[in-house]
Amino acid sequence: MDRARVLQGLRTLYPESRILTRPAELAAYESDALTAFRARPLAVVLPETREEVVATVRWCHRHGIPFVARGSGTSLSGGSLPVPEGIVIALNRLNRILRLDPEERIAVVEPGVVNLDVSRAAAPFGLYYAPDPSSQPVCTIGGNVAFNSGGAHCLKYGMTSNHVLALEVVLADGEVVRFGGESLEGVGPDLVGLFVGSEGLFGIALEVTLRLVPKPEAYRTVLAAYRSLEAAGDAVAQVVASGLLPGAVEIMDRLSIEAAEAAVHAGYPEDAAALLIVELEGEEPEVEAELAELLEVVRASGAYEVRLARDEADRQRIWKGRKGAFSAVGRLSPDYLVQDGVVPRTQLGTALAEIERLSRRYGLRVANVFHAGDGNLHPLILYDGRQPGQLQRAEELAGEILRLCIRLGGSITGEHGVGMEKRQYLAEMFSEPDLEVMRRLRRAMDPGEIANRGKMFPVPQKLEAAAAS
Amino acid sequence: MRTDAVLKPSDVDSLREAVRQQPRVWPKGAGTKTALGPPEGAVVVEVSQLRGVLDYDPAEFTFTALAGTPVRDVEQLLARHGQYLPFDPPLSAAGATLGGTLASGLSGPGRYRYGGVRDFVLGVRFVDGQGELVRAGGKVVKNAAGFDLAKLMTGSLGRLGVLVEVSFKVFPAPRACASLRVDRADFEAAWGLLRALYTSSFDLEAVDLVPPGTVWVRVAGRPESLSTRLQRLRAFLQGGEVVEDDSRIWEEVREFRWVPSGWTLVKVPVTPRRVLDLERELVPTASLRRYSVGGNVAWVAWSEEPAALSGLLARLGLRALRVLGPPGPPFLGRADSDGFSSRVKQALDPAGRFGPYP
Amino acid sequence: MLHEIPVDRYGAVGRRMAGAVEACVHCGFCLAACPTYRVLGEEMDSPRGRIFLMKEVLEGHLQPQEAAPFVDRCLGCFGCVTACPSGVAYGELLTPYREYASAKVRRPWPDRLLRWLAMETLPHPARLRAALGLARLVRPAAPYLPARLRAMVSLVPDRLSRPRRPASTVAAAGARRARVAVLVGCVQRVLHPEIHEATVRVLARNGVEVVVPDQQGCCGALALHVGEGVRARRLARRNLLAFPEDVDAVITDAAGCGSAMKEYGLLFSGQPEEEQARKLAARVQDVSEFLNGLGIETPPPLPAPTRAVYQDACHLLHAQGVRDAPRRLLGAVGNLEVVEPAEAELCCGSAGTYSLEHPDVAAELGRRKVRGLLDTDPDVVVTGNVGCMVQIRAHLRAAGRPVPVLHTVQVLDLAYRGQGLPRLA
Ligand SMILES: Cc1cc2nc3c(=O)[nH]c(=O)nc-3n(C[C@H](O)[C@H](O)[C@H](O)COP(=O)(O)OP(=O)(O)OC[C@H]3O[C@@H](n4cnc5c(N)ncnc54)[C@H](O)[C@@H]3O)c2cc1C
Ligand SMILES: Cc1cc2nc3c(=O)[nH]c(=O)nc-3n(C[C@H](O)[C@H](O)[C@H](O)COP(=O)(O)OP(=O)(O)OC[C@H]3O[C@@H](n4cnc5c(N)ncnc54)[C@H](O)[C@@H]3O)c2cc1C
Ligand code: SF4
Ligand code: SF4
Repeated sequence: MDRARVLQGLRTLYPESRILTRPAELAAYESDALTAFRARPLAVVLPETREEVVATVRWCHRHGIPFVARGSGTSLSGGSLPVPEGIVIALNRLNRILRLDPEERIAVVEPGVVNLDVSRAAAPFGLYYAPDPSSQPVCTIGGNVAFNSGGAHCLKYGMTSNHVLALEVVLADGEVVRFGGESLEGVGPDLVGLFVGSEGLFGIALEVTLRLVPKPEAYRTVLAAYRSLEAAGDAVAQVVASGLLPGAVEIMDRLSIEAAEAAVHAGYPEDAAALLIVELEGEEPEVEAELAELLEVVRASGAYEVRLARDEADRQRIWKGRKGAFSAVGRLSPDYLVQDGVVPRTQLGTALAEIERLSRRYGLRVANVFHAGDGNLHPLILYDGRQPGQLQRAEELAGEILRLCIRLGGSITGEHGVGMEKRQYLAEMFSEPDLEVMRRLRRAMDPGEIANRGKMFPVPQKLEAAAAS
Repeated sequence: MRTDAVLKPSDVDSLREAVRQQPRVWPKGAGTKTALGPPEGAVVVEVSQLRGVLDYDPAEFTFTALAGTPVRDVEQLLARHGQYLPFDPPLSAAGATLGGTLASGLSGPGRYRYGGVRDFVLGVRFVDGQGELVRAGGKVVKNAAGFDLAKLMTGSLGRLGVLVEVSFKVFPAPRACASLRVDRADFEAAWGLLRALYTSSFDLEAVDLVPPGTVWVRVAGRPESLSTRLQRLRAFLQGGEVVEDDSRIWEEVREFRWVPSGWTLVKVPVTPRRVLDLERELVPTASLRRYSVGGNVAWVAWSEEPAALSGLLARLGLRALRVLGPPGPPFLGRADSDGFSSRVKQALDPAGRFGPYP
Repeated sequence: MLHEIPVDRYGAVGRRMAGAVEACVHCGFCLAACPTYRVLGEEMDSPRGRIFLMKEVLEGHLQPQEAAPFVDRCLGCFGCVTACPSGVAYGELLTPYREYASAKVRRPWPDRLLRWLAMETLPHPARLRAALGLARLVRPAAPYLPARLRAMVSLVPDRLSRPRRPASTVAAAGARRARVAVLVGCVQRVLHPEIHEATVRVLARNGVEVVVPDQQGCCGALALHVGEGVRARRLARRNLLAFPEDVDAVITDAAGCGSAMKEYGLLFSGQPEEEQARKLAARVQDVSEFLNGLGIETPPPLPAPTRAVYQDACHLLHAQGVRDAPRRLLGAVGNLEVVEPAEAELCCGSAGTYSLEHPDVAAELGRRKVRGLLDTDPDVVVTGNVGCMVQIRAHLRAAGRPVPVLHTVQVLDLAYRGQGLPRLA
């Protein structure tokens, strides 16, 4: 179908002001937070009701036009990268909290609702929405659902998937389905569990029922400074092995401490090679008892300085610095690639030492700031896109880190998803029959493969080569 | 037995072969969920030979085992390292297998705190409807690569594939536990307590309500803080009897020993607010009830024909799973057919070898 | 991202613009802080989008005309600067970019006329007074006016006091602790001369000798924000000459003026006056910043318990980074409870001439702001910028609850004089 006909079709669905086609309008949607990729869509539409989303999907299905759902475009894997000549369905105006039921501890939201806004709305009732990606002031629940996003505080109570109870979805061929329920328990196969993390390949979530949890009565936040990154990594294994169950266990290395400190003045020990942040949460008497043990474990693990958050404001600053760290690294380098591999927690020290070695070999700086408690690494590979060949070297280094994670028995992604960036590596983690079942599932929902076409699944080598040339 | 034959493959290849050969297959674990029997004309493929823990590093807090491994064996192994399965798998003393527990999607009262079986499964290997061995998920505690088929298998009742291998994460076992029993004059008052606890910031392992008016609360953690916590809880609940040695009490619950033999036991997902409606409907019937997980699950033991119960639940818009008692169609109550699950079924088992979704 | 801005082509500011663009890692953290994004929900009306569009223009991939509507819609509130962990100096991109693009963008004649009118009246007290008189005459016809004119007229105050300016030197009360020069600017002098008077009184009361240089004029902020660099420099040059060097600080009590004067160095970068401009800029302080640094005499408590909701002016909070000072000053006043509104960091929609040029967005922001303020059930609203005061007052009136709106120094002044704060009848 030619451009003009497509646009004419869209005009039957949207008023002119909500179809974006001008060069400046499209340019703004060319990338998500992984700027190494850019693609220009044919049009961006701004639905304001779920009926408009459904109509758009049906229309795309009828005409075989690929579409990409977009939340806030903070994906770090190219997940919300437009399909060239496809449609971007920007869901930011579907941002209403439809129902907040504090007694049932439930929030029913539209997909464009920002993660943190759910917790803000629940706060007066002493409740919050637990998954806290660092991007939570901006990322949307729809994006979180697509990637099964995690965060610093997902160690104890799980990621997005563990907090979504029900979904209404328009599948890529236009059928609207609902599954899950309001209870914490269900019967029959866990369809919600399948949809969460499906990277937008099945269709678009229209309504999400979230579980809220009571705010912990107390927190204790411990900062421990180490002379080497490897030592901090090993300390995590010791904290985990101690039998304590902290709410968060995070590590920041020297580069990320420097960057975050410049951004928010969190009061991190700036001379540390690595900083371990461990937070206990729960009932006051319990966390107090756990704290004594935690401090013992941390001191025995070789920390040369240990300090406690003084008060809630101090604690907030510590987390603000941690959560702003990815962006803050922008102060150190014009560009970076964030990797998101997972390794067994007992292998953290080994993995970090290996990453340091790779960094030296490639002559590229690597900053580490990550969810250590789950073994979820976030090496940020710093490069300068203006220098010819640097991006390619950075990508090669990223590839080596992913292979390292696979070799150590881990995964290529813990929470950022495969997206565009890691699709070739999926084939190194899964065999052809594994992938084939996933493809069958995808085609069962999306026979025309129009939803987020080109994402997640490895592209046959021949096509990949053709695309690159 | 309605079925004609039982196969007991001793390894994965013979299991795949069995699936390929038979037009209708029904995977069987240990047979503890007696009501979840085989569909008409299916060949029973018993996975009990596929047992054993393949990989367990206590420092990692994860393990991988074959699907036919009894849950009890795993629990014993974990306990030796001070670890446990926080979703509190039911019927483990009766011999339930890991595969069966995952496939039936059942968790015990202790899932209140950290989540159910779906929240702890990390990865699976299974034989799909075409006899292919498929792996999904992983062995590390966090993984977003590929579709989450491990979660999908939770509650799939053997209708999407035969589980061969499962990986779980585990938690450190609490060092001390105790329970509080609170009696109220009537159900409504007890129900009020249940709901107050549900939105409170107490960290509780289990909250169950047993008609007519008893609330059971379980608290776990460090021995040094336990009594303070129990005191605070008693203050909140205005009373309650502390039961220190409570493991037997909860095992009775987990093993459904309160269910008279021969009765049908069903699991009804519900929400705390709706518990009252359900109880009101059930009081006049010949049933026993236990409202578990803070009012998110009703366990209903039923002495008569399940059809009547099914009608009652349907009227309330509830759907339920049969667990114990004479076998029959697995689901009761509100009929649920959505385009999503039929597509999933079509993708994983196009020839319908594992039987239709009832 | 690949960056290829030919910096040399853009003169002295080229490197700075490119620096801001390169510091942006496209993370989107600024989206939540951006008022236009919050209202419009479109990427090109977000800081991240605008930075990308400006980059595209500067790299030659996009016509300035194409980018204009979105860059124009930027309030210049710098909410994004506060939110950005990567330290993107958005102002160093936006201001020079607007000047660069203004010559290349053709605007429809009503826009140009409106802007010209604003530029020719606002900075000139006598003309502004005449214009306001005229506007009041047409107010009865407001419902029949086009949206923009209607917006303009709705902001016109009910009463116009005589234009006044404080005496050119006011002695410190008691021992002299400091000597400062005060900017009296343009718009505020006409709309609210009483704010300057309060500033001078409060400074003097705290041992500060105040000079009010005669030759000073408009700081150039309004022109600067719409990219009229030449005009802005013309106005600013006057102030470079007017303000003496032998003072401890140059005080502004309008946040918009303060932030513009703090940017004088950038405004003159590459020009002969650059050094002089930098020196003046370095001495500029907001009155609250200065008083807080100096330490004030505790005023007597207010006669009656009063609840004030403090609204950060963007040009104070985001552009000048002044957050705690006004809160501390207000905190020193007994019987005054200071509360914070929801969405405190979001612009009220005033932003210089913005409310005239983009009435829809400005009005939506004004409504939201006032909703947040009224939710705290305040007796008075306190803020630090005259533009915000006018906008908030207009929207309070529209919401049917015209709670008094005061400048921080007015609160101090009334407290020192033992008077209560005005209240809604
Ligand atoms: C600085 C920074 C820090 C981050 N920290 C974390 C972190 O701690 N943990 C973490 O997990 N992630 C993190 N991320 C990654 C990112 O924020 C998450 O992946 C987030 O969930 C994306 O949300 P979004 O609204 O921006 O979605 P987008 O980027 O717009 O979209 C992401 C994917 O979701 C799909 N999608 C969007 N809406 C829907 C819908 N309604 N239905 C179906 N599919 C949909 C899109 O097609 C796309 O594939 C971070 C990113 C940044 C930039
Ligand atoms: C006392 C008694 C009476 C019985 N009466 C009858 C009868 O009258 N008629 C009759 O037909 N049968 C009868 N049975 C057989 C009984 O119904 C089934 O054998 C038993 O329910 C199967 O147990 P199970 O494996 O499902 O148990 P679990 O192991 O607990 O399994 C529960 C669910 O999981 C599935 N599952 C188990 N393992 C796997 C796996 N590896 N992969 C995928 N899915 C799996 C099963 O299909 C089932 O849906 C009886 C059994 C008992 C003990
Ligand atoms: S927060 Fe800063 S780095 Fe991130 S997109 Fe906005 S301006 Fe760019
Ligand atoms: S200055 Fe204000 S309006 Fe402009 S982009 Fe930044 S936050 Fe948005």
